[in-house]
Amino acid sequence: MGNILVVAEHRQGLVRDITYEMLAIASGLAKEMDGEVITLAIGSGLDEVAKKIAGYGVKVMVIDDPLFADFNADKYQKVLSALIDDLKPALLMAGHTAQGVDFMPALAVEKKLPYVAETIALSYTDNQLKATRQLYSGKVNARLAFKQAATYLVTIREGAVEAPEPSSAASIEKIDSPLKEDLAYRKFVEYIEAEVGDVDITQSDILVSVGRGLKEDKNLPLIEELAAAIKADVAGSRAATDAGWIPHDRQVGTSGKSVKPKLYIALGISGAFQHIAGVKGAKIVVAVNKDPEAPIFSIADYAIVDDLFKIVPKLTEKLKELKG
Amino acid sequence: MKTIVCIKYVPDTSEAVVKVNPDGKSVDSSRFSFDINDADNYAVEESVLIKEKSGGEVTVLSIGPKQSDVMIRMAMAKGCDRAVRIEDERMALHDPVIVARILAAAAGKQEFDLILTGCMANDDGHMSTGVALAEELGVNHASMVKKLEVLDGRVRAHRELEGGLLEVVELELPAVVTIQTGINEPRYAPIRGIREAQKKELLVSNLDDLGLDAALVDEEASLVVLEELYIPEVVSTAEIIEGEPDEKAEKLASILVKGGLV
Amino acid sequence: MSAEIQTFREKYDLLGCIQCGRCTGGCPVTVRANLNVRQFVNDAYDESKLDELAKIADIWDCTACHTCAVRCPKGLKPLEVLIGLRTLIIESGKVEPTVRDALQSVLLEGNPWEKSRAARSDWMEGLDVRIAEPGVPVENLFFVCCTIAYDRRVQAIAKNMVKIMNKAGIDYAFIDENESCCGSEVFTLGEEGLFEMLIEDNTEFLNGYTANQIVTLSPHCFTTYNAHYPDLKSKVIHYTQLLDQLITDGRLSYSGELQKKVVFHDPCYLGKQGGIYDEPRRLLQKIEGVELLEFERRRERSLCCEGGGGKMWVESESKKERLAETRIKDAKELGADIVAVACPFCVLTLEDAMKNLGYEEEMRVSEIMELLGELFNDPEA
Repeated sequence: MGNILVVAEHRQGLVRDITYEMLAIASGLAKEMDGEVITLAIGSGLDEVAKKIAGYGVKVMVIDDPLFADFNADKYQKVLSALIDDLKPALLMAGHTAQGVDFMPALAVEKKLPYVAETIALSYTDNQLKATRQLYSGKVNARLAFKQAATYLVTIREGAVEAPEPSSAASIEKIDSPLKEDLAYRKFVEYIEAEVGDVDITQSDILVSVGRGLKEDKNLPLIEELAAAIKADVAGSRAATDAGWIPHDRQVGTSGKSVKPKLYIALGISGAFQHIAGVKGAKIVVAVNKDPEAPIFSIADYAIVDDLFKIVPKLTEKLKELKG
Repeated sequence: MKTIVCIKYVPDTSEAVVKVNPDGKSVDSSRFSFDINDADNYAVEESVLIKEKSGGEVTVLSIGPKQSDVMIRMAMAKGCDRAVRIEDERMALHDPVIVARILAAAAGKQEFDLILTGCMANDDGHMSTGVALAEELGVNHASMVKKLEVLDGRVRAHRELEGGLLEVVELELPAVVTIQTGINEPRYAPIRGIREAQKKELLVSNLDDLGLDAALVDEEASLVVLEELYIPEVVSTAEIIEGEPDEKAEKLASILVKGGLV
Repeated sequence: MSAEIQTFREKYDLLGCIQCGRCTGGCPVTVRANLNVRQFVNDAYDESKLDELAKIADIWDCTACHTCAVRCPKGLKPLEVLIGLRTLIIESGKVEPTVRDALQSVLLEGNPWEKSRAARSDWMEGLDVRIAEPGVPVENLFFVCCTIAYDRRVQAIAKNMVKIMNKAGIDYAFIDENESCCGSEVFTLGEEGLFEMLIEDNTEFLNGYTANQIVTLSPHCFTTYNAHYPDLKSKVIHYTQLLDQLITDGRLSYSGELQKKVVFHDPCYLGKQGGIYDEPRRLLQKIEGVELLEFERRRERSLCCEGGGGKMWVESESKKERLAETRIKDAKELGADIVAVACPFCVLTLEDAMKNLGYEEEMRVSEIMELLGELFNDPEA
């Protein structure tokens, strides 16, 4: 059918994992779609970034131009629109990320091409591309079929698949930017770093994390006592930080931090994928939730299906006792 | 400042057991409680805050059934001035591009400086409708906005990126901005306010009223076909700790200490 | 329909107050917080000060126990001035998110606990419950209460009632999931508009049934219906009155023993507001082996557990010991094995306090229906 074009995601000189995860999916599809996988990197000063990506065995096409020094969704859209016309890829893939969602839907409308957002799996058989995504915070799967088109558009969920290992160095090709002028109507101003609080949870060894199940902040002392007993730091899901129970710099998840503790205890967290994606790096995950269907259990090593208020006090007591 | 805020009536499935209907294309919503989509609620509050600061008016736009009127009245009780609710059997609502096309038809019928939507719907989670809407209308956009400042003929938006990093962009108006949860604290809509809001205009429109050809937004028009809904297998390799609550707590404590994890 | 035309002064009869201070003098909350209701009644006289007064955090400390109303020599209700100030905040919309969510939940799902209406009758699962049908006459129509319906800890009150009614062959029925919040906490939180709506809707709904009497399982529903619903067809009683009457009439009896020291904590909404002090005590004394103890602060002087008045959704700023903890310490000093209550809110707050103090090994908090349930031989945990 044609090539698969993967839009690389990079920021401040670093390549984000989603780029490699997309390469894993794309490589799986390339044979069926009778084409090759090409990564597209758009930016300025991209030599290191391009080399890094090329190390995963996939050809890299680079647009390196000061026009793209900072991310601008409209510029990306203009570039991709032109490249779709020139290169006619069968499939254009971007991350379902703050960057990806800022240009892909607009591109889909502009080019009148079939588009599925936050895909977790793709298949191509008998000329038919199908995508799987999820509804209701992961409780239901949906399978969608793309109607026939020259190019298909998808955004891929972070952490849906494992990133591959680097392999041989593939080729890097620099191409001219189809966009020649700056865009006045949308300007990048600056980045503002996340507040660095007293604790950097990305460096924590043990995390006790709470979610909606905490119910109110007056229940925090219970959690803090458990954390103190095992010298853990306290973190939270988005529900906990939005509610103001946990400071924002301790939010675990795609819009927060990715953590890699040796022990992650999730209390009253349902485990929506945005949260789970931030827990990928944890070695051991313990989950306590009274809903047996809570998605958090799919990544847990130890599971207790019960109300956290029935478990935590006794757990704290016993841990104190055993640790002496 | 003329603002439009788009809101969606969604079920709260955080604690619910979700079952797929025999037709395989819909879920059993008989036991769901419905309310305004989380992020949209923040968008409503933001639109009212903008009105309180800069003057102007806010129009609510929503695609939904009659039962969602209470949600719309609550938004109007908070300070929105009027509403348009779109109801029609012919819309392919599983497709965010189609939804955007419909919202664009309604929004296009009036003057606006700014359109706010929630950044994501809790039920289908596409995170795409707002941006697609901007493209349909041919206006600027910024998504996942955590802080919004209205300047002269422009807005400055703080977009929330992964890791809590904020990307600050400036856009010329008119624009669509999709709002992230946590941007503000939504107020309460007291019943008296909701009663007063009954006097405000809530126009119910179908596709014909919008001047939108159904052939542009029906199943045929959608470039994506919903084949099947199904419950995913929760592949859990978790060791489930059993017993009475106290027993379970004690077993876990033992596991953690013996395993050298704490 | 609402009293918007009255001024604050007229509505709460502020001129009637002689500033004697008996209200503040008896207010249980003053033990741990700065709430001075007499002062508020005085200051509220100046209409221009109302918005300022409404912003004072103390107004949310009131538990609506009604001690002030009971003690007022002029028959006024000082607590209602505080509720009136809360109404000003409610109408501005800028309330605590917890209060916002609870009130919204009552409007949308008929209960303040953010649970789906469809799940309201889930507690009935596995039980043989007679469901009321509009128009079909029934002697006792039970009104469950949102907290008892949804909160696992207190569902036993309803479950045990079903078992006891079935065993004793009494004519009764329960309402299905269309039962909606009586509005007790909606009223005390100050959402007047919503409360008026509940009164209208619930009156129509309950009048659709043909019952000799409506029996509430919670004192909150009991007082709310009796104090604020003028147009209900049936009379409304509390279950302790029902059981007491059935025992007197020889239609209900129980055997079985409970060799325990039991102290009865008078719920404010049952005692101070309903005048019901003896019926629950008689029910306890009828249990063989029970040694009934009494708190020093009993009956009209009962120490409020701080469950009512919207306190389930608003934390006090005071860091002093919660009244519920003081109460539990009193019970411990008395040597009580069981603190018996007749209210789901008292169960939750007192048991919380007991756990915070670490007394679970030595005592327990039980609703009377839990104790009776044990006697009827299939205890509901």
